[in-house]
Amino acid sequence: MAEPGDLGLPGEGVRGEGSHLWRGPTWQVPPEASTHLCGCGTAGGTGDTIFALSSAPGRCGVAVIRASGPGSAGLLRSLTGTPGPPPPRVLALRRIRDPRSAETLDRGLVVWFPGPNSFTGEDCAELHVHGGPAVVSGVLQALGRLPGLRPAEPGEFTRRAFAHGKLDLTAAEGLRDLIAAETEAQRRQALRQMEGDLGRLYQRWSHALTQALAHLEAYIDFSEDDNVEEEVLARVAVTVRALLQEIRGHLRDGRRGELLRGGVRAVIAGPPNVGKSSLLNLLCRRPAAIVSPSAGTTRDVLEVALDIGGYPLLLSDTAGLRRAADPVEREGVRRARERLCQADLVLAVLDATSVSPTPAALGAALAALEPPPGTPCVLVLNKADLLGGPRGATPAQGPPATLLSCKTGEGLEALLELLAQQLAQLCGDPLSGWPSLTQSRHSRHLGACAAALGRFGDLGDSGDLALAAEQLRLARRELGRITGHVGAEDVLDIIFRDFCVGK
Amino acid sequence: MRARRRRRRPLAAGPARCCSRTGSAPSVPPRVPGEGGESYRGAPRGERGGAVLSRGGRGSLWTMLRVSLCHYPGEMSCNPSFGGIGKGHLMREVDALDGLCGRLCDRSGVHYKVLNRCKGPAVWGLRAQIDRGLYKENMQKEILNTPLLTVREASVEDLLLKEPEPGRPGKCQVAGVVLGDGSTVRAGSVILTTGTFLRGMIYIGLEMHPAGRLGDQPAIGLAHTLEKLGFAVGRLKTGTPPRLAKDTIDFGGLEERAADNPPVPFSFLSEAVWIKPEDQLSCYLTRTNLKAQQIIRNNLHLNNHIRETTRGPRYCPSLESKVLRFPDREHQVWLEPEGLDSNIIYPQGMSMTLPPELQEQVVKSIPGLEKAKMLQPGYGVQYDFLDPRQLTTSLESRLVQRLFFAGQINGTTGYEEAAAQGVIAGINACLRVQGRPPFTVSRTEGYVGVLIDDLTTLGTTEPYRMFTSRVEFRMALRPDNADARLTHRGFEEAGCVSQQRYEQAVKMRAALEDGIATLKSIQFSISKWSQLLPGVPISNSRRSPVSAFEVLQYQDANMEILAKAIPEPLGKLAQWRELAERLKIEAAYEWCVVNQQQEMEEVRRDEALQLPDDLDYFAIDASLSAEVREKLAANRPQTIGAVSRIPGITPAAIVNLLRFVKTNHQKTEKLKAVPQSGKYFPGKMYSDKATSQRQISAEFSEEEARFVKTPL
Repeated sequence: MAEPGDLGLPGEGVRGEGSHLWRGPTWQVPPEASTHLCGCGTAGGTGDTIFALSSAPGRCGVAVIRASGPGSAGLLRSLTGTPGPPPPRVLALRRIRDPRSAETLDRGLVVWFPGPNSFTGEDCAELHVHGGPAVVSGVLQALGRLPGLRPAEPGEFTRRAFAHGKLDLTAAEGLRDLIAAETEAQRRQALRQMEGDLGRLYQRWSHALTQALAHLEAYIDFSEDDNVEEEVLARVAVTVRALLQEIRGHLRDGRRGELLRGGVRAVIAGPPNVGKSSLLNLLCRRPAAIVSPSAGTTRDVLEVALDIGGYPLLLSDTAGLRRAADPVEREGVRRARERLCQADLVLAVLDATSVSPTPAALGAALAALEPPPGTPCVLVLNKADLLGGPRGATPAQGPPATLLSCKTGEGLEALLELLAQQLAQLCGDPLSGWPSLTQSRHSRHLGACAAALGRFGDLGDSGDLALAAEQLRLARRELGRITGHVGAEDVLDIIFRDFCVGK
Repeated sequence: MRARRRRRRPLAAGPARCCSRTGSAPSVPPRVPGEGGESYRGAPRGERGGAVLSRGGRGSLWTMLRVSLCHYPGEMSCNPSFGGIGKGHLMREVDALDGLCGRLCDRSGVHYKVLNRCKGPAVWGLRAQIDRGLYKENMQKEILNTPLLTVREASVEDLLLKEPEPGRPGKCQVAGVVLGDGSTVRAGSVILTTGTFLRGMIYIGLEMHPAGRLGDQPAIGLAHTLEKLGFAVGRLKTGTPPRLAKDTIDFGGLEERAADNPPVPFSFLSEAVWIKPEDQLSCYLTRTNLKAQQIIRNNLHLNNHIRETTRGPRYCPSLESKVLRFPDREHQVWLEPEGLDSNIIYPQGMSMTLPPELQEQVVKSIPGLEKAKMLQPGYGVQYDFLDPRQLTTSLESRLVQRLFFAGQINGTTGYEEAAAQGVIAGINACLRVQGRPPFTVSRTEGYVGVLIDDLTTLGTTEPYRMFTSRVEFRMALRPDNADARLTHRGFEEAGCVSQQRYEQAVKMRAALEDGIATLKSIQFSISKWSQLLPGVPISNSRRSPVSAFEVLQYQDANMEILAKAIPEPLGKLAQWRELAERLKIEAAYEWCVVNQQQEMEEVRRDEALQLPDDLDYFAIDASLSAEVREKLAANRPQTIGAVSRIPGITPAAIVNLLRFVKTNHQKTEKLKAVPQSGKYFPGKMYSDKATSQRQISAEFSEEEARFVKTPL
């Protein structure tokens, strides 16, 4: 098993609900949120602090994460838990923690470059950490959650250096190549991601949003003219609502990197006395849970951390789901339901002897457990050893199912394989592609886009269309950071194509 | 002192203007450009760049305005209105810089209306129907009473040129103008505001006339000079509707649009407009039907203007293009009064270039106009414009030093767009003579800045019109706060703003700042607020306590309600009506504006990274692709900000360009300072291309030479 530091395996306390990177403070209450962006300018007030992975993406020995801006000293304090930054330009060995969970992400070297004697001329910080994807992704996400910090745009460090007069560049002939490499690599990477389904999805959103914006702009600039009717507004509202739903859904789906780091929360659920606790014991290869032949033995939620095929799994055993008379058991069932609702993956355990292996019967049995909608489920048909006669293959339709005997261990291999498949789907393959930097950029921009679309909806009745349009413009701008810039002319093109407007 | 200044370096302005617009012989008493003044009666869409000259000149005392304006009685004039969505913003900004049009419209309007009233103050469109006669009268009074301003009426035939000042781009510099009678007027800088005069052609049906049909040959001479100088020339088209006799129209069944009561003035200096609210005239709305469409479609073969390939705007100025592009619909026609005593109605929305008898048929097919008498047919105009990418953001030409352009010659359409350019060109023409740094407005500061940056960076392929959707920072650049954005700068940097206006703006700014501070200092819990203001539902998601300023942003809140609940200290704020309204607007937009600060900062920073005017993008030794070089050379961006708005320029190219500029600028500048060739100096005006700067200076008095030689 890899060392915790390398894989970023979770401690027990990692799973805060708010750990979605995109769910920054800007999500809910706009007026207050602004203070986070604008109120952090301590040194020189040059705006926000940017960060990025500065070394090459992919597995490597040491990865360098760079930050620039007035919040650099603060981020060193937050991540290393020390009262002040280390002495300028001296490497210091520090334990790097997630400021929210206090979890140690890595032990690495940090360097503090107070401005103006830094690459960009601003206060800068560098973190030299182990080069595993999980560590890097963990540190980047922790940075992203700090107020006033955001991932850098392509070439932004260089631009800041120019803005502060640091790059007169007389000397560094090689720097051009360096810069070109930086921007080109990022562009290629973005392009690679933009090909395929994801790219098409983003493009479609982009078109829909641009069109909605253009129609709203037409209503503002030309409603005195022909053919820009009030109904334009209603159509725009419908488009925006649909778009918002899609983007929010996408954001919920796009948590693979987070799952990889934080662990997939799997919950064992099922009727009483089908062998849920036995399954837990079998998987963790020790008698962690009390098992007994009587129904309702398990009352509390029991949790163990496992490594299945290299993926982190947080497995919870819960009380059997039934209408219980005993108040203690009732509380156990309530906790089981609560845990079930937070699950990333459900292991539904059924008694193989009491359910017929047809898709309909299995589906009905699973539905009776009321798993949260949309959460992937694995059906475990336990007590296979008690099945007489020929074993029908598990049905190909419906949720994946497997026969198992906790008693004999029969079917364990198949179950592990099935779990590994599910985990791979949930977490993605960390070795193919580089999930963290661009994905967190995407999440962040999509999140900001969704936030703006949400505010558009809230503004619907307030009457100030200019404010409402501004939210669409913001949303468009955020999406544009992923899909490319859309200028005023593109908007005007749509206006003039769709409406007959004169002088 | 005064005399001396007057004598030297007069600012020649708006040469050829009138010739340009109507092309008629200069016939009328000296009329002067005021924004829109002349345009107003001038030929189709008059523009008045020189307009604002008067203002620009005013601060700097030593301006002489030479304009040729002809007065051509009404028939060929453009729309009888000022302002509109986006355009009203420009007028407020022109007014904030002490341009004339806003104040004059407040004294000449017959129907004031704020468009977009229900869509938020950031996009309100101040607009008015203007009495042509009154506007002209007021403009003339204003111009002729401007101290130190000499007005001459003549056509401008040619430019006086001399060798360029070293160290700046340009193959020569302008030294004055040659008038139609062969006399010359010397000038420290010259502004051309030619409207549609440059090789203008009027189209009605299959007929074409040169725009200056009453014999304006000299205007052509100026066009030749500009072409010879190497200006890239493009061609645009526009049109104007027929005019109708009011007493032959049946308004009975038509939808009436009444004016606002009370009317909202354009100018920050106007307490109210001149006309009593109840005396205002109405506009009426009617619509075309399929019959009109049929007539137009059946007669396309008789319609040269529409079939021509010259670029018109994507929006539809002519009824023909509306019918062709959006068939089988009704199209709006607004019947607008031309003045209190005028019998002319301007049917906005039905520009046409059909032969007159067919236009008459179209008119009569429209409800309410069945018996309408057509006083004058509509017609189309095609004219030359100069690629505005050949200008700096101060509107000075890169080819000819001290020569400025404003208005339709830069590819824009509309009085307000022209007035805005006129102010900037006027100010900079003066500053240039004084040897002071140019006055430019950033995209983050005003619609004027967006307009000029769009033109000088991207150029245009259709008549450029202002829209609010072009403006990135629409939440911050509002009609209500144009004075706060521009008046101080105009006073301090350009000297174009009167003391009175400046003091008023200072007072208002202080009052706003105090008011906001007071409102922010009043903080209560949400429950206390709901006791105080039961009618204002405050969201529970807010953090308590909530300030009065935050409460003010709610739709149902205003200063009056707040002052009733908290008379001390809010009572006196609410009494000052204008202040109370502005505080409410500030509150409504505050968080949007604050959220945009960072982005505005980025734009400003990029705009501050100046590129030398004289870079030869094909020659420089920087790692730039041929495609990028071509784009840069064609667009001639002045700042890195402008570079980033050119489509197809990569971030890597931007960085490489900056790097090159930072290391090589000095050297490049010296190289480019060498005069290029003498072929652009017409011999009669300037024969010896070897004349040195020193010799040139010797032609002037010493004081003059001081101005000539002072580098920026």
